[in-house]
Amino acid sequence: MVVQPMNSARHFIRLLALLSIAVAAFVKARSMVVPADFGKLGHFRASAITDAAAREPRHLGSAACAECHSDITGPWAAGKHHIPQCENCHGPGMLHVKVVSEDSVDKYPDPIKKYKNALRPTTGIQECKWCHLKTFERPAVLKFITSVSGHITAKGGTFTPKSKCTDCHNPHTTLVK
Amino acid sequence: MHHYVTQGYVLPNQMHIYWTMMIVLYPYITGIVAGAFIISSLHHVFDREELKPVSRFAMLMALAFLLCAPLPLLAHLGHPERALNIMFTPNVTSAMAGFGFIYSIYLLILTVEIWLLYRADIVFLASNARSETMRRVYWVMALGVTEISEEAKALDRKVMLFLAAIGVPAACFLHGYVGFLFGAIKANPWWASPLMPVIFLLSAIVSGVAMVMVCYLIVQWFNKRPVDSECTQSLMESAWYFLMVDVALEGLELLNHAYMANHDWDILRHLIVDKLFISLFVVQFLIGSVVPFVLLGAAVVFKNRISAGARQAMGFASGILLLVQVAAMRWNVVMGGQMFSKSFRGFLDFHIDIYGREGLLAVLFLFTLPFVAMLIFSWVLPLWGPISTFPTRWLRDRPPEYVPVGNFTRFK
Amino acid sequence: MTMLWDKPEISRREFFEKCAEAGAKSFIFGGLVVTTANLLLAQDTQDTRARAEEAPVKGTKGPIYGFVVDTTKCIGCGSCVRACRDENNVPDGYNRTWVEQYTFFPNGEVIVNSPNGGADGFGEDLPNRNVPEEIGQLPVRGFFVPKLCNHCINTPCIQVCPVGASYVTKEGVVLVDQERCIGCGYCVQACPFGSRYINPETNTADKCTWCYHRITKGMLPACVQACPAKARIFGNVSDPNSEISQILANNRVQVLKSYLGTNPRTRYIGLDSEVI
Repeated sequence: MVVQPMNSARHFIRLLALLSIAVAAFVKARSMVVPADFGKLGHFRASAITDAAAREPRHLGSAACAECHSDITGPWAAGKHHIPQCENCHGPGMLHVKVVSEDSVDKYPDPIKKYKNALRPTTGIQECKWCHLKTFERPAVLKFITSVSGHITAKGGTFTPKSKCTDCHNPHTTLVK
Repeated sequence: MHHYVTQGYVLPNQMHIYWTMMIVLYPYITGIVAGAFIISSLHHVFDREELKPVSRFAMLMALAFLLCAPLPLLAHLGHPERALNIMFTPNVTSAMAGFGFIYSIYLLILTVEIWLLYRADIVFLASNARSETMRRVYWVMALGVTEISEEAKALDRKVMLFLAAIGVPAACFLHGYVGFLFGAIKANPWWASPLMPVIFLLSAIVSGVAMVMVCYLIVQWFNKRPVDSECTQSLMESAWYFLMVDVALEGLELLNHAYMANHDWDILRHLIVDKLFISLFVVQFLIGSVVPFVLLGAAVVFKNRISAGARQAMGFASGILLLVQVAAMRWNVVMGGQMFSKSFRGFLDFHIDIYGREGLLAVLFLFTLPFVAMLIFSWVLPLWGPISTFPTRWLRDRPPEYVPVGNFTRFK
Repeated sequence: MTMLWDKPEISRREFFEKCAEAGAKSFIFGGLVVTTANLLLAQDTQDTRARAEEAPVKGTKGPIYGFVVDTTKCIGCGSCVRACRDENNVPDGYNRTWVEQYTFFPNGEVIVNSPNGGADGFGEDLPNRNVPEEIGQLPVRGFFVPKLCNHCINTPCIQVCPVGASYVTKEGVVLVDQERCIGCGYCVQACPFGSRYINPETNTADKCTWCYHRITKGMLPACVQACPAKARIFGNVSDPNSEISQILANNRVQVLKSYLGTNPRTRYIGLDSEVI
């Protein structure tokens, strides 16, 4: 390969110098931006796992409800309705437990205040219909009703638009009052 | 975020179309880059002399579109400020991660090639531009080196040839990887195909040739300059050949789907016949392929019987129609693939947003930017010929005698 | 059109020699490129028939999780969808898990439905429900199919993530790093099951995490805890005595879209051929 005299390649030398500066800047930027633990466990940021695991669970399970509400959970666990959990109808309990134990929701930082799914106000009818209203595709593992009005009328009551299942049934034990 | 109207059963998370107008625009832009660069290389590498009038312009057009190519992607990303992550921590199994490096390397190749092509002119302008500012600008562009001796030119020529040679596969990569990005998604039967990179690349070349041709005709007509009819004839021939191969491959893909009639054929058939009927059969095929095929074919086969002026008009019309066709093809691939659900039981309609980050106005704005860039280039460098075509009013009064730079037969 | 070999500067023989040389060089270069590409691209893909009980990160010990959905038991109450929404702050219009309702008619038609993902249950029974006029008959059979992220072993979503925001933990759970995701949506396109979405509040990709923040504390995922019909089972598949291992040992299980080779960790009991 013929060696070119330096003069005629000066512009290439300068171009290469510019490129080297650009590459060096890229490498420096990368070392500043990419977290140090990236790549330790695989092609991802290792601390993402601990971040993902660190969130607080919002559904606490019925055992947590039993700590304060054993007068309800006792008959509930002993009755036919022990299969659906408390939180299925009432919503996640985490915020409720915090509020009750610490007295005021104003003491909490914004993310919890913005959290809108605190205990769900129960309607006494919608929650029951979710499982017990007969749907064709549903396997016959529960007692079903085909319609609310039909059921009330068949049992000798008067159906009004404001009728609720809890007018007659205890929602926790399912017994007729 | 709004839900789109659905028919049949669409999976709950698919009630939105995630890749919309910007993802249709991006391959359109990189396609024009690839096509324009191929035209320019046909002159510089493969010695097609008749393309000389447009070769410099085509290369600068490629650069103008290339500079604007990342913009639709940035407009689409949920977190554009994190966009550099694809270069800092690229996942080597992801085609999309290739974008950062392929784009940067190709940008480097193209910029250096243009720089070498224009270096003699830049050096001349560094001492002969009218305003002091511009002379400084040219001096910076020359990297402060005003050496244009014979050895320097010979070295430039060698490097240019090398860059032009690797530039063609690099340009193919720049657009081909987009085809692979779609073609490798097994989850989407409309996209998944080994032919996808080839189809994308061929339609890219068609769009680039068409854009070069249309721009050349418009600029010459606007400036009342004569049109080199050998050049336009060559452009029309290239457009015709690539159009035929492109349509053949796209047709082959559809034929394959129809013949094999896999489990996904039922929904794809509904997609093609119902939802994409207008954009696929009427716009992309009839108006965008058959009409240009006839016009270009007539201009090529009967070139001795049709006057140059008539052939120019046919070329212009075909060019416009081809640009529409390639845009329709991008639309049909990107949007078509999302207009049916992965449940294979339902469809979505897409409604074009006017405003918003991915709206029609944003798309039109981004699409005008490469032309703005070309306008700016035209103020800095001669786009359509050697330095002697640069307006003399931009040069100092009575510039020193301009000697054409030696035996630069291929790179004048 | 003049061809290169017609030019006086280069003889035909020289031209062919140049072509041969260029061809040989390209062949070698191309071969190297293709080989390297294959080696790089094949790095992260797992064997499409890898066993679910094997750890995704070789050599690590600890539980490996699996999920079983029993479609014969699902009653379509939607408790799982509501529990997941509340637990994970899932935005309206998107679902990390959902329930599909399949209704079969005597003429062979199948209607699939998932109103709001099943979050409000499935409402009234026939004939109050809207049966399309053109069918006009009562159905002959039907069932519910709950769906969620399948947490595949051969994930197409991790394969296509450009920045390494999608990853798999040593327990086999596929997660998204919300701090690195750029919101490009490639993983959403690549998932064959429609499990992913772009969260409009964070502008990043999101999906079912098997409630990673719960299972690492010894709790069950919210949907599993909520299900009153025992249609969802979660547990450690590497422990042969766990409930899920017993179920897997005693039932015939299927996976969704098995022909794609994603090798899901979520298995289904009673999957009908109409379920795609």
